[in-house]
Amino acid sequence: MAAADSPSTALRRRDLCSRGIRLAGKMRADVADLLDAYVEQQGLDASASVAAVEGVPLAAVERWDEQTGTQRLLENLAAYRAFRALLAQMLEEQREQLGEADAGLGRALAAVLLQVSAFAYHLEELLRLESRGIPGEEGDGPPPPPRLSLFEQKLRGLGVLRELAQWAVRSVRDLRQLAKPSPATGAAPGLAESP
Amino acid sequence: MFSRWSWVACGFYLVLNICSPDASGGLVQSCGHIIPESPVLALGSNFTALCILNESCLDFGNIYASQIIWKIKNRLVPKEQYREINRTVSSVTFNDTSSLATPLTCNILADGQIEQNIYGITVTVGLAPEKPKNLSCIVHQVSRFTYVMTCTWNPGRHTFLDTQFRLRYSWPEEIFPDCIPKDVNNSCTVSDIQFFVNTEIWVEAANALGKAESDPLVVDPIDIVKPLSPQNVSVSSGVLPTVLKLSWENWISDTVMTLKFNIRYRIVGDTNWMEVPSEDTASPRTSFSVQGLRPYTEYVFSIRCMKEDGMGYWSDWSEEKTGITTEDQPSKGPPIWRIIDTSHSPAFWTVHLIWKALKPFEANGVILQYEVTVRDKSSLSSPVKKYNVTSTNHTLQLPEGTYEVTLIARNSVGASPPSVLLIPASNSKPPVKNLRTLPKHDKLWVGWTAPNSYVLKYVIEWCLVSSSSDCVIEWQVALGDVQGIDLKGIKPFKCYLITVYPLYADGQGSGQSVKAYLKQDRPSKGPTVQTKKVGKAEAVLTWNHLTVEEQNGFIRNYTILYKTIDGNETVVTVDPSKTEYTLSSLTSDTLYTVRMMASTDSGSRTGPDFTFTTQKFGKGEIEAIVVPVCLAFLLIVLLGVLFCFNKRDLIKKHIWPIVPDPSKSNIAQWSPQVPAKHNFNSKDQMYPEGSFTDVSVVEIEADDKKSFSEQDLKPFDLLKKEKSTSEGHSSGIGGSSCMSSPRQSVSDSDEGETTQNTSSTVQYSTVVLNGYRDQTPVQVFSRSESTQPLLDSEERSEDHAGGADSTAQRQQYFRQNGGQDETNTDRPCFERTKQITRANEGDLVGFVQLQISGQSSQPLGLGMEKNTQEAALSSVLQTCTEGQTVRPETVEENPLSVDEMPKSYLPQTVRQGGYMPQ
Repeated sequence: MAAADSPSTALRRRDLCSRGIRLAGKMRADVADLLDAYVEQQGLDASASVAAVEGVPLAAVERWDEQTGTQRLLENLAAYRAFRALLAQMLEEQREQLGEADAGLGRALAAVLLQVSAFAYHLEELLRLESRGIPGEEGDGPPPPPRLSLFEQKLRGLGVLRELAQWAVRSVRDLRQLAKPSPATGAAPGLAESP
Repeated sequence: MFSRWSWVACGFYLVLNICSPDASGGLVQSCGHIIPESPVLALGSNFTALCILNESCLDFGNIYASQIIWKIKNRLVPKEQYREINRTVSSVTFNDTSSLATPLTCNILADGQIEQNIYGITVTVGLAPEKPKNLSCIVHQVSRFTYVMTCTWNPGRHTFLDTQFRLRYSWPEEIFPDCIPKDVNNSCTVSDIQFFVNTEIWVEAANALGKAESDPLVVDPIDIVKPLSPQNVSVSSGVLPTVLKLSWENWISDTVMTLKFNIRYRIVGDTNWMEVPSEDTASPRTSFSVQGLRPYTEYVFSIRCMKEDGMGYWSDWSEEKTGITTEDQPSKGPPIWRIIDTSHSPAFWTVHLIWKALKPFEANGVILQYEVTVRDKSSLSSPVKKYNVTSTNHTLQLPEGTYEVTLIARNSVGASPPSVLLIPASNSKPPVKNLRTLPKHDKLWVGWTAPNSYVLKYVIEWCLVSSSSDCVIEWQVALGDVQGIDLKGIKPFKCYLITVYPLYADGQGSGQSVKAYLKQDRPSKGPTVQTKKVGKAEAVLTWNHLTVEEQNGFIRNYTILYKTIDGNETVVTVDPSKTEYTLSSLTSDTLYTVRMMASTDSGSRTGPDFTFTTQKFGKGEIEAIVVPVCLAFLLIVLLGVLFCFNKRDLIKKHIWPIVPDPSKSNIAQWSPQVPAKHNFNSKDQMYPEGSFTDVSVVEIEADDKKSFSEQDLKPFDLLKKEKSTSEGHSSGIGGSSCMSSPRQSVSDSDEGETTQNTSSTVQYSTVVLNGYRDQTPVQVFSRSESTQPLLDSEERSEDHAGGADSTAQRQQYFRQNGGQDETNTDRPCFERTKQITRANEGDLVGFVQLQISGQSSQPLGLGMEKNTQEAALSSVLQTCTEGQTVRPETVEENPLSVDEMPKSYLPQTVRQGGYMPQ
């Protein structure tokens, strides 16, 4: 794989990784700000415990350092696709609840949504550079969540943002790992091994 | 006739068809229409329109396509552009749509040349949009989390049509809403910007004639960010006096963008910025310590930032913040100089020590005081004197000698290095050479050639030369290795006296001075010229020098311009040191106008005109003429006098003819028998010949004889006898009259004869003496019948007069002069009469020769009867007044004028009973 890398491909990968890292970093910062705004806006306790959000892979993973590059990309892509759907739903619910009363929170949600989309695009591009097929999205995304109460929607939104913040941190580490011009590149076979 | 009506019917039908509402829709039913309907055409393209007539109009209206005419805005289109396609369709073709206008109408020219409009369309002509060019975008940071992207482009040519521009951007898998510009067509601002994703941006332009897209711009918006400038900038001073710490906050977190910075600073009051080297601030930070600053100096700081990798744009400069460095000890000693005043006593100086305050960057703080130390180098035993001064000058009274003055400036941190000034007893060292000046814009450069010896430094003194005030000295110190400095603060058109002193390690050189102007101008006024002395052909002109304030430059020369009223002007150039000039070769007695011009290097100014007139005669010319003339006159007079003196006898004979002197006569002499008996030598001398000038003759008119008694007339008979014997010789002795002329009464040739003729008869004649010319007559004589020799009476008269000189003088006058001017002789005549009366009291009886006028005869006769003395006096008075009756007392009061008196002795008229000349 490495041998097959042309200079332009390597340059492209490095560029994508670099942008992805900085995008993830900005996304983490924005999500952190959004979390504060969201907790305040929704009247929630910042220390409230939230159960895991269904359909979103957990950022925390065992033996992270043993993962191949392709695995990292695929897990990231799956996670961000899920976040994209969840954030879009949150945005819609936000508009239904508050209308145009709090445009700031809506714009912040929309901005994070765009960043999530952009990061997903980065991941897809990296997968293309790895000559890996991009897994198709499962139908129209995850199955529609059951109808929740308003409070449950708020808690779920809090959970989504917290998980997104963690994924942003993990994504930075994943991309940095991918960007290293190290024998890890030799992990490319690992990529090939991944489904 | 039918045809006319049919056409009228046809036209009416057309109008109905066009104007009447349709039964179905209520709209106007037209007889035709144009294809295409309201087209939009490209400018410059060709265009063809078709006018299609309705079939329904053909039959009834009897109109066909051949009758169609096309018009553009009521202007007929040439028929060459028509084409009849069939009986209902006509086309018109335009090769260039630029000739088109709105509306384009299709019309029918029916029979009878009636024109009816069938249809009209609006034609729009324009251009398709060009491809937008030069697309560029910039992302402005609006707030901490807000960014907007503004893109600009060149929209291309004007299309004349409504053209829509829209900015489009997208990700590969996501297309964002278009940005449609408002009010402009060359820029648009996008508010939702996402970083770290390459975004494709392009511009699309579209109108009725087409659509065009710009080349796409693919960019990550993070690479075109212009961030906000750092905020909350603060400056703090550190421990070191040359360091200030600058702190700030960034608007952008490092997670989004890392930044690099530019820091600039300047001294307050200075306009030039300095920058911290960019490599020192190329990494993200929020503070920076600026080093290498001046102590105790206030600085202004400003900072800006941009993306660390250099992509994007620099932010604006932040707001300016100031900070002051801490104090440090003065970096150098103040420049010191002295002015020595020896006016009171050459052996005892008044030394004014003056020094310049240190510049802020030299003082490095607030100077608290100066320490002056004076050491007498001529005597080692003299104590060192120290003075603490807060001002920048100090005056000392010192005896003449050599001194070393040391000056130290002190601030709160420490003392400056000492400045040393050596004041020698005399400036015996060599001076600078070749001192010169050169203006350089607003500065005056002073240059010199260094002496051969090593010079520590130079002191340059200068002052503004003024005629009204003292020279206020300014000075400056230059290092010993320079040979010229620029003097600042020099005013143009002012004269400066510049002196340069070289200072040696062991003494001081004498000063060399030069006067200089930064810029010269022509004098502000011209010299006032006047004459000091004016001659016949020359004039000495004088003038005063212009004051230094009036000169405005170096006076290079004076020019004297003089001319006569109608003559050419003569120009004379005079050395500027002169204040006097002599104009020569002038024309005499001519009015000259002279004026004077003073010239500097920059121009001239002429003074007022002055006029003078040269003299007609030169110096000494008048004397040269007058003196010889006078001398000649005197010489002529002298010669005349000498001539007259030599010819006095001849002249005397002509002027004063010899008249027999009655005083020399006596009876003896008159008689031929005793001619030599009377020899009065003394009288001859006293009465020379010819002294008689006038002899009076008393006439008695014949008519008056009756008024006299016979006794009284006896003497007249005698006179008649005598008269007959002496007739024709009366003028010799007795014919003289008081008023007679000498020439008429005296004949030189008859003198001797007369004497002979009268010698036989004793005759007395009254001689009335008139003054000759202006001389006073003194005596009057009357002829008497007395035979008494006159000598006795005369002698008695003289004796009676007491020998008074005046009497003798009067007698002398009598003898010399005949009276002419009675005015002056009235009184003497009167007095003399009385004198004679007294002298001849005894002879008055025989006084017969009287002149009695008719009117006065009676009184006079009565008088004679009563008092012969009074009668004799009256007769005398009458003689003097020529027949007028004048009382004695009125003679004095009313003297006769000269005009009333006959001035010549007229020939006596012989009247009956009158006196006949003897």
